[in-house]
Amino acid sequence: MIPLGRIYLLVVVAFLYLPIAVMVAMAFNASELYTLPLEVSFHWFEELAGNERLLAAGRNSVMVALVTSILATSIGTCAGLVLSRRKFRGRSLLQALLLPPIAVPWIITGTAMLVFFFWSGIGRGLHSMIIGHVALAIPYVILVVGTGLQTLNEELEQAAMSLGSKPAHAFLTVTLPLLAPSIVAAALFAFAVSFDQFVVSYFLATPGVTTLPVEIYASIRKGFTPEINAISTILLGVSMILILLFARLSHMGDVSDRR
Amino acid sequence: MFQPINRRSFGLLVGSGLVAGADASLFIRPSHAAETITVLNWRGYGTDEASALKAFAAKSGISVKHDYYNSEPELITKLRTNPGIYDVVLINSARTQQAAVEGMIDPIDFAKLSNAKDLSPTLKSHPNFLFKDKPFGVAWVWGMNSLAVRRDKVANPDSFALFGNPDYADRVALFDDAATEIGIGALLTGQDINDPKDLKAIGEKLKSFKKNVKLLWSSEDEWNKAFAAGAFDVSVYWSGAAVRSQRRLKLPVDFVVPKEGAIGWLDGLSIPSTSTKKEAGYAFINYMIDPQFYVEWATTAGAPASANIVAMNGLPADDLNKTIYKPEYLTKLQFMSAMPDDRRTAFADLWQETKAFYAK
Amino acid sequence: MIVGMLLPAYAWLMLAVFLPLLTMLGFSFLKVAPFGNHPMVFTLEHYLAFVRRPYLVDVAWASLSLGFWTTGLCAAIGLPAALALARATRGRVKQVLFLLIILPFWTNGLVRVFSWTMVLRDGGILDLVIHFFTPHAPPQGLLYSYPAIIIGLVHAYLPYMILTCYLALASIDGALLEAAESLGARSLVIFWKIILPLSLPGLVSGSILIFVPVIGSFMEPRILGGRVGVTMGTMIEDQFTQAFNWPLGAALSFTMLAVVLVIFGVFSGALRNRLATS
Repeated sequence: MIPLGRIYLLVVVAFLYLPIAVMVAMAFNASELYTLPLEVSFHWFEELAGNERLLAAGRNSVMVALVTSILATSIGTCAGLVLSRRKFRGRSLLQALLLPPIAVPWIITGTAMLVFFFWSGIGRGLHSMIIGHVALAIPYVILVVGTGLQTLNEELEQAAMSLGSKPAHAFLTVTLPLLAPSIVAAALFAFAVSFDQFVVSYFLATPGVTTLPVEIYASIRKGFTPEINAISTILLGVSMILILLFARLSHMGDVSDRR
Repeated sequence: MFQPINRRSFGLLVGSGLVAGADASLFIRPSHAAETITVLNWRGYGTDEASALKAFAAKSGISVKHDYYNSEPELITKLRTNPGIYDVVLINSARTQQAAVEGMIDPIDFAKLSNAKDLSPTLKSHPNFLFKDKPFGVAWVWGMNSLAVRRDKVANPDSFALFGNPDYADRVALFDDAATEIGIGALLTGQDINDPKDLKAIGEKLKSFKKNVKLLWSSEDEWNKAFAAGAFDVSVYWSGAAVRSQRRLKLPVDFVVPKEGAIGWLDGLSIPSTSTKKEAGYAFINYMIDPQFYVEWATTAGAPASANIVAMNGLPADDLNKTIYKPEYLTKLQFMSAMPDDRRTAFADLWQETKAFYAK
Repeated sequence: MIVGMLLPAYAWLMLAVFLPLLTMLGFSFLKVAPFGNHPMVFTLEHYLAFVRRPYLVDVAWASLSLGFWTTGLCAAIGLPAALALARATRGRVKQVLFLLIILPFWTNGLVRVFSWTMVLRDGGILDLVIHFFTPHAPPQGLLYSYPAIIIGLVHAYLPYMILTCYLALASIDGALLEAAESLGARSLVIFWKIILPLSLPGLVSGSILIFVPVIGSFMEPRILGGRVGVTMGTMIEDQFTQAFNWPLGAALSFTMLAVVLVIFGVFSGALRNRLATS
């Protein structure tokens, strides 16, 4: 059972990484048209080093995604706790309200935001991008944290309280650590929602201040070069290293094992 | 909820945006030498050629920033919702009147454009640019949407009827654009591309291509990559892009205007009425219609045809652009021009219905 | 307390999503968007689009079936993967795999879709691999087909299902399964009686996170589907990028939203009944 499960997992991970491997390979391919066979070259990394616009866009993306992830995770976790733990009138309505931001195509949400932010004086720029991204990420956070909460054993918290813990204390020492994997997953999702968001960002970016997906989307008509693959590869490498460091330093795994 | 968003408050907000823009210029009052203007255009479409911008900055002291659009509706939306941000905007002349009607762009003062004297008179005063008898755009470049084929696979392409030829089953790529495809249907059925009377015949014509259509492309990049990978042999393509595909990417593509004619378009540069740097905007437009700029753009990258006669004559005799923009083609073209909203909607509906038919 | 915890999230959503979307909802009842010199004329015609344009019904059905296929495949692939992640790995391996499954999300969606075109096209990477094993195999030619869209969509959304199911399954008590096994329960029975009910919350949130965006997706169908890549998502996008008919685009989108809400209403009703009877 165990080796079978591991083999299956490896196959699934291989499927997930197949196009990403292609993306990385093409960053090192000389052909601008992405034709095969592969001809190894660092040309596109050199081009990238001189492309201040793309590099600045990459930096903006990381910044916006980090801020979005922190804000959406804290706001969304609070709401998720209440929505899945308390029963109150209007709860189903509030839950149903999480669907429109996911269901309505981005192009409509983006256009609507552009028009509304213009009318209300919020305007365009990184700040409005963050406002938009956080809103789009909140439903994901609530759903992910909610899933974790539903399966948590509420009795543990009650047991702690019956042993004399104050509710707040019981929450902080028992529930929160158990919930940590869900919160981490939610934060990573929120980061991804922002980091990959091109339509809404595209409408809300001001000229000269853009993010990576906006640069990519705006290049579609003219064509994007493997420079895009090069910067994506660098970002992927950096996030892999960060994630592995994070996994090493945190005790996330221990917590999930203890359950 | 819906009440606050009427046209009056919209106007008020536009107005306050203007006031805010004026305030800012009172405080800053930048010297001409350190000005930055913002241009709204398609990406990679001449105004953002890096070497040209460097030369322009050295000459005039004006640096140029860009914002891009990916569709014409988006252009109009960006103009509407960003008063005061843009100083020069590229508009397909078929949409110039639409922008002029809404008061989003200024009439052009040709006295401020020393290079305008060399513009082709027919293009400079093309009816597309006129609104209430005043010109609202400076003719910049024109081009064609026509037939492009793989050199060694298609002999003597001379008709759009190739799209329905059973020899090319699954080998055709159409452009996912209602105006272009309805236009081709109109050409094939002998009608005016801007005002076809028999839309039904066009729809049937387009639907008859179903077995041949492999994909619908929507960007030059997509076309290039799919063509390079051998996904199709016959397609609709843009003239300027065909030059780039041949010259820079060495793709074996032939671009022709078949016997039915082709779809022409004329692009102009305009000055948004909310711009606070109109003089700098005029200086940039004047540079854009300078023959020297055009020849460099066309010969290093590949461009549509210039509206400036001196610029076209300045191209080397063997230049690829010359083989694509043959003088005799001009008489075979029908230019895209302004059309009423309901006709645009009818075009869009018909193209969507056709696409749904292709997918079934 | 309840209000205090909920307020930040819903106030934020109100400002950044609901108010803008309500503006769009308003637009959808207008003949044309209220810009420029267009007078505001109220109409319901855009909501009759499905009646007036019968081909839209086909397109809508195609989009829904795309949603069902993608969600179903993600569940079929994702649930066992989540189970394997929860049960067959531990400690650091588990952490690293968990993070590796999320990481693909951090690359650009458009770049990923373009990478799929390289894999799937004639003479592409898939063909190269197949030729390596069977030199005379014909080209698969998967690009520009319905399966290509499904592959792209499953790839884009599978991590959601794995992770939500994992979060639900992580709390399964190993002792429970061992007890069941020692009592002679067959693995199918264990799966049906223990694992499936426990993973239900994960399957439900995963399905929401997948089905809902998939029926509005336009990037994968457009780039991978070629001629067959026509969905409600691309139709709606066209209304904004080509036809400049915001009211119709908005009306189509809100109609789809209503369909989604009905589907989930029926679904959650059925779910509640099942839970009540079991």
